[in-house]
Amino acid sequence: MNAQTELARKILSEYDGPPIRVMEVCGTHTHEIFRLGIRSVLPKQLEVISGPGCPVCVTPAEYIDEAVWLALEKNVTICTFGDLVRVPGSRSSLADARSRGARIQVVYAPEDAMRYAGEHPEEEVVFLSVGFETTTPASCLALQKAEEAGITNFSLLTANKTMPGAYLAMGDSADAFLYPGHVHAIIGTGLCEQLAAENGISGVAAGFTASDLLLAFALIVKKTQEGKPFFVNAYPRVVTREGSPAAVRLVEEWMEPCDSEWRGIGIIPDSGLQLKKKRDVYDARIRFGIPKMDAARPTACRCGEVLQGICRPTDCKLFGKACVPDHPVGACMVSGEGACSAYYQYGGYING
Amino acid sequence: MLSAVQEQEEGSMCVGLPARVMNLKGNMAVVDASGAKREVDAQLLEGLEPGDYVMVHAGMAIAKIQDEENEMLEDLLK
Repeated sequence: MNAQTELARKILSEYDGPPIRVMEVCGTHTHEIFRLGIRSVLPKQLEVISGPGCPVCVTPAEYIDEAVWLALEKNVTICTFGDLVRVPGSRSSLADARSRGARIQVVYAPEDAMRYAGEHPEEEVVFLSVGFETTTPASCLALQKAEEAGITNFSLLTANKTMPGAYLAMGDSADAFLYPGHVHAIIGTGLCEQLAAENGISGVAAGFTASDLLLAFALIVKKTQEGKPFFVNAYPRVVTREGSPAAVRLVEEWMEPCDSEWRGIGIIPDSGLQLKKKRDVYDARIRFGIPKMDAARPTACRCGEVLQGICRPTDCKLFGKACVPDHPVGACMVSGEGACSAYYQYGGYING
Repeated sequence: MLSAVQEQEEGSMCVGLPARVMNLKGNMAVVDASGAKREVDAQLLEGLEPGDYVMVHAGMAIAKIQDEENEMLEDLLK
């Protein structure tokens, strides 16, 4: 163990102050914290809650309904990241649609979807463009390459989201955020400094290895005791203050902010991205005239509360009973990055 | 058809992978991510060279990984 990690562990093991609530806002953090056993070395007073940072989990059921409609009514080929396939819509999932004959292609990257469209000019191909700041540049890149290659049978169904609005909306849910390192590799850390200075919202930008996470939690414990709102970049290997202006520019060429619905939470102003008007031809909603989908029927699923840190996955009546990874009711159980899936997979009883 | 597990592993959107740049051709880079080789788009990053480490998301290199020691963080812990 290096000196820094040793210091971090010492701070964590010796902490005996008041409770500290930390919200991790990234699905990968949720999973790595479980997988690496980090909870077992955190002090009891430190409560880790899972925020709304899994893109699949916050994508509303109506979005799945739109994709299913495109596949079944318009005979469109849907290209998607794999973790969306089993997310329940209000009537069916894409997996259900596939069993009824829909063409659903799982891709690793948006560019793969663009390439598929190029190779299948007789099909209309729609990529399900979900994700946060880290994934959106890749969607825009796929459009840029489609345009360059003259591929005209390719469009996006957008549900891209941005984090700053969520930080503000969730600001009161925790004493500090564990900021998602890769989001801030794109947008930089000016916003986090501003949240600390102007909104009293604290946090640490964190990486994903065991030593990264120990360091981040130790910094949160240490800085919280100082009693002032704070921000520390604990992942300077990858995160810089300025972020990636090239990625931000790429996104701004294609997309613009819009209000966006977060599954289980509601509409957060300016927290989404949609294609600019002049890019209409790549917008599947316009291209295919997708009708407005009815709101999803309510179930006993508490994903919305889980995502806001109001309850834990294990507090939901459905958890581990009606709702398991093979038969998910809510999106947090579907996605490999969802909080419910992590609790189910790794046991939900470690340190709370 | 892929199993549910395969689907998640192959299609999980949001997992960043650290990878080493093996060679570059125009905007594209061939990277080695823990033994798996893949071509990724590297147009966001300037001045990349073989041997550099990058963070890859959804087929795109989004950041260069710096390997400098950070004493400032250690000082904050003291």
